[in-house]
Amino acid sequence: MSSKLLGERIKRKEDPRLIQGRSHYVDDIQLCGMLYLAFVRSPHAHAEIKAIHSEAAQKMPGVLAVYTGADLEGRLGLIPCAAGMEGLKVPPHPCLALRRVRYVGEPVAVVVASGRYQAVDAAAQVEVDYEPLPAITDLDKAVSSDSPVIHESLGDNIAFVAKLEGGDWKAVESDASLKVIRQRLVNQRLAPLSMETRGVVASYSPGEDTLTVWSSTQIPHLLKTQLAVMTGMDEARVRVIAPEVGGAFGSKLNVYAEEGVACFVSRQFGKPVKWIESRRENLMATIHGRDQIDDLEIYFRPDGKVMGLKCHILANLGAYHQLLTPAIPTLTALMILGCYNIPAVFVETKGVFTNTMSTDAYRGAGRPEATYIIERVMDMVARELNLDPVEVRLKNFPPPGKDIVLATGVSYDTANYQKTLKKVLTLSGYKKLRREQARLRKKGKYLGIGLSTYVEICAMGPSSRMPAGGWESGTVRVEPTGKVTVLSGTSPHGQGEETSFAQIVAEELGVPYDDVTVYHGDTNQVPMGIGTFGSRTTAVGGTAIYHAAQRIKKKMARLAAVKLGAKPSELVFRDGKIETEDGSKSVKFGEVVGEAYFAKQLPPGLAPGLVENYVFEPPNYTYPFGAHVAVVEIDNETGEVNLRNYFAVDDCGRILNPMLVDGQIHGGLAQGIGQALWEEHVYDENGQLLTGTLMDCAAPRAHQFCWFETANTETRTPVNPLGVKGVGEAGTIGSTPAIVNAVMDALRPLGVRHIDMPLKPEKIWQVLRGGSPQVV
Amino acid sequence: MKVEGSRQLAAPREVVYRCLMDPLSLAQALPGCEKLDPQPDGSYQATLKIGIASIKGTYQGRVQILDALPPESFRMKIEGKGAGGFLKGEGTISLTVQNGGTLISYSGEVQIGGMIASVGQRMMQAAAQQMVQQFFDAFSHQLPAVQPDAVNSGGLPPST
Amino acid sequence: MIPEPFEYHSPQSLEEALRLVTEFGEEGKMMAGGHSLLPMMKLRLASPRHVIDLGRLSELRYIRESDGWIEIGALTTHFQIESSSLLREKCPLLPETAREIGDAQVRNLGTLGGSLAHADPAADWPAAILALDAEIRANSAGGERWIAAQDFFVGLMTTALAPGEILTAVRLPPLPRRAGDTYLKLRQPASGFAVVGVGVRLALNEAAHIERVAIGVTGIGPKAYRAAAVERELLGKPPTARRLAEAAARAADGVQTNSDLFASAEYRKHLASVYVRRALELALERANP
Repeated sequence: MSSKLLGERIKRKEDPRLIQGRSHYVDDIQLCGMLYLAFVRSPHAHAEIKAIHSEAAQKMPGVLAVYTGADLEGRLGLIPCAAGMEGLKVPPHPCLALRRVRYVGEPVAVVVASGRYQAVDAAAQVEVDYEPLPAITDLDKAVSSDSPVIHESLGDNIAFVAKLEGGDWKAVESDASLKVIRQRLVNQRLAPLSMETRGVVASYSPGEDTLTVWSSTQIPHLLKTQLAVMTGMDEARVRVIAPEVGGAFGSKLNVYAEEGVACFVSRQFGKPVKWIESRRENLMATIHGRDQIDDLEIYFRPDGKVMGLKCHILANLGAYHQLLTPAIPTLTALMILGCYNIPAVFVETKGVFTNTMSTDAYRGAGRPEATYIIERVMDMVARELNLDPVEVRLKNFPPPGKDIVLATGVSYDTANYQKTLKKVLTLSGYKKLRREQARLRKKGKYLGIGLSTYVEICAMGPSSRMPAGGWESGTVRVEPTGKVTVLSGTSPHGQGEETSFAQIVAEELGVPYDDVTVYHGDTNQVPMGIGTFGSRTTAVGGTAIYHAAQRIKKKMARLAAVKLGAKPSELVFRDGKIETEDGSKSVKFGEVVGEAYFAKQLPPGLAPGLVENYVFEPPNYTYPFGAHVAVVEIDNETGEVNLRNYFAVDDCGRILNPMLVDGQIHGGLAQGIGQALWEEHVYDENGQLLTGTLMDCAAPRAHQFCWFETANTETRTPVNPLGVKGVGEAGTIGSTPAIVNAVMDALRPLGVRHIDMPLKPEKIWQVLRGGSPQVV
Repeated sequence: MKVEGSRQLAAPREVVYRCLMDPLSLAQALPGCEKLDPQPDGSYQATLKIGIASIKGTYQGRVQILDALPPESFRMKIEGKGAGGFLKGEGTISLTVQNGGTLISYSGEVQIGGMIASVGQRMMQAAAQQMVQQFFDAFSHQLPAVQPDAVNSGGLPPST
Repeated sequence: MIPEPFEYHSPQSLEEALRLVTEFGEEGKMMAGGHSLLPMMKLRLASPRHVIDLGRLSELRYIRESDGWIEIGALTTHFQIESSSLLREKCPLLPETAREIGDAQVRNLGTLGGSLAHADPAADWPAAILALDAEIRANSAGGERWIAAQDFFVGLMTTALAPGEILTAVRLPPLPRRAGDTYLKLRQPASGFAVVGVGVRLALNEAAHIERVAIGVTGIGPKAYRAAAVERELLGKPPTARRLAEAAARAADGVQTNSDLFASAEYRKHLASVYVRRALELALERANP
């Protein structure tokens, strides 16, 4: 394939409309006679609902109805959980709370009004009598036998216990030459914080008996199925459209209460209904990410070779399961060995209910936690043995190759971890940095150099291992005028696949890039699909489109071959023509398209038209990897951390558009570094959310960062014909441990092994003055 | 959140105690108190418009005096809810004779929930302290025939 | 995030504004740039019946020098202060402070007067104004008065402004000879507000001793304050490194110290002394020709 488009820095097709504010998000949709919703939410983390007084609200101007959980019972289905693991406890999760509330922000009632302001004013008048119950927010306490139980019918607060074991533990435990480190790591809760909050417009047409739903979602097709089930409608009569979606980071890979309620209300009134989430609601009632406690035992040889890793994970699930809640921490177990050949592994994961908002997929979803664990392990081992962390990593890498199987049973598609590490060491001037560090240490200054050599699991994924199928659908339609329409079952929301998909198709068909238009996100337009998450869109969705384009080519080549008197296999598609390799026989692309549609001289057995659909089922996940180096300076009086340099070498397989890759890496780094240094979403011991606005919930900002020095290696995956692995989450996964390792490296002369994130200046100050770091 | 501190008042202990038990003088001293109705069970139904500067909310609630040991000490229980959320508090107030006047020491735990808890954490301590101060400033004016606040106040910073 | 219903008023003159402020009393709230008030209204923490938008009073948007004072109108935005060449030359502390406030959008709309009247305990301007020995003009139906910065901040979000008064201007002496000033700050990563913010203006006499020093501190207590204990230790003394450090250790003496999720009271006290020392050192460096 001669490459003119693939691999080029092509500007995004999406950007002109986005930058100029000329696109349409859910809140831009205005329909005639629209009604508005406002939710009454619980101020208590755990309480019995004694009574709901809505009479005053019902009398407010513009108010049409107030519904409570009891009104919806039996009339609107429960919020679904797709994770189907063995022995999983699934508590009922109604769209509006029934009898009991279990987290601050849980919807208790909904007001329907003809104006948005009227709805909000009336919601403030709904009085709810609560009888508070003890709130459970602490994971250690939640799993103890004397803890109050959040879902009484389930017996205790443990939703599941999953074990993953591999290798010869007898040998490890009986080897007296091995050293052991025991350490607890806390991976704090985060808010996904997409720029656009959630929002939904549901419009039921009683005459046609159809329901059209615009939702700010990552999964229009899955949502369509679930809303049909929840409302009891015929799925063929439900249409979901994801219009422009202003970011999601996993938080919109879900089915939410408000979506169900909007559909219910629209069906009740036969009118369109809108709900737009406020930022405050977004912080308390959109899923959260991370929140794990990981208790580690590391067994290692004096030369730095790690022989065994045990980890007990307490995963905070929140009060209910959202779509994938329990599945997220299982990804931590799966990827806990990272890119290291550690012969024995044992992971026990306990999923725990608490009186907090549900956790679920947030950029990285279980893998950042795994990478944080294993990359901290490597640095703690290096510190314990007084070895360079580079040396310890090299000692534990498997040799470069394909289909590498670790003790977890995970089979990595391709790997060359030595190569990315070597490249980042050169890029960062690692040896020079170490010399500078030694010089500064003599002057009492703290410079820290942190490494992270991550591997992640992407391109989700083989259907056998995905909760709701892992295939993806792609359609290519060459229009009678020769322009090309591409339909994808994925649902990009900022990633830029309208650009990369067009690159793939334009390159394959040899047509101008501008002639290709990509559509996604409308279930009535795109025949089927799964969605955008798990760094799958290009690797799985792009591959489906690639195959659909091959089918188009095959058909067009047959038509062209008749015209040219050549064999179809001799023909190439380039520069708007279909021709023999030497160019001696040539026909215009448009002419062949005409043949296909006018259908005057079709070869026997060939149907008219040029529409091809392909559903790609990936044979494996892909495993992108990379090596990062962070350089930090610590203010030795205040503990402030200054991020001086950041170097990232990422291998996401073949690169289709380096600008899109850079964009993903930069954004991912910002989020990963944000977790290490600033972000935490905090509940107090009574289950009150303390970081309820952006005044306290620290979203990373551009001005907080140094320039990122990025580079790539390209190790193509054999899992798909494009050779692409995925890059949506890599930056987030790789960067968090690099920063923490850098800060701990800086503080090494002070003899402290670990400080939990976020590395707020006060925690470091406590260490600087010789105290314990964990008081804050 | 812990709220604790002490305040020196220039009045005899018995007088201070009596005033603290008097709904009228309490109502005048409590910041933003719009209603303080004694109930048959000895508690009070209260309507308080409280807050700092333009951040004000109206709270309906109940104030209870428990374990009264005149004139030495009592426990106080407060519960209230309003549009800004809810608050629950419980604390001990003790009075000791000191420097010819009375030293009031208070120590309690306040739990705040809902909106105020989720948006106001950075100012909560300072706001609580300011309201306690306002209360004592106003209360010292309620004390009969003594110089208000004649002796220096000894308020301690609260700690979390 | 939708406020309770309110009436909006947009007076065209200071006179009209004063009339409205008097008329509505407690039920009215003045708005300048709106960057503190509107978020509180959207959260329904503040629900004024009447919002009196002072934004049209362009007569209150100026920076000028007269009678030995620099005077700045209350509605002057943070950005106008940040970019003023007059201030950069004669009072660099102010542009330096402005640059540290929020983000570009906040600086383009937020105003000096609005911030001072709001008196957030972690706002930047109060520390700067205290360090400059500024005076604040309050206008009312009965006339005008000047309030010394030291007397202006009364408590948590509480100022010396009386009901019916509008903050209209701030005036301050320009930087004298052999003097230096600066503003240093540790930002809270979420809000951008000061965990600690320190404004210092320091002047030396012919003998290179400290002739005048004023230190404003914000973020530490319920209100911004002058670090008087530090100032006392330094006045009339030669500014040795050791003396600055020893004096700065008293930066939070007697202050009821804030404690929140980001920083405990103990840490804040420590930050106050470090930042006061660093600001003194920098101001001294600038004062030495």
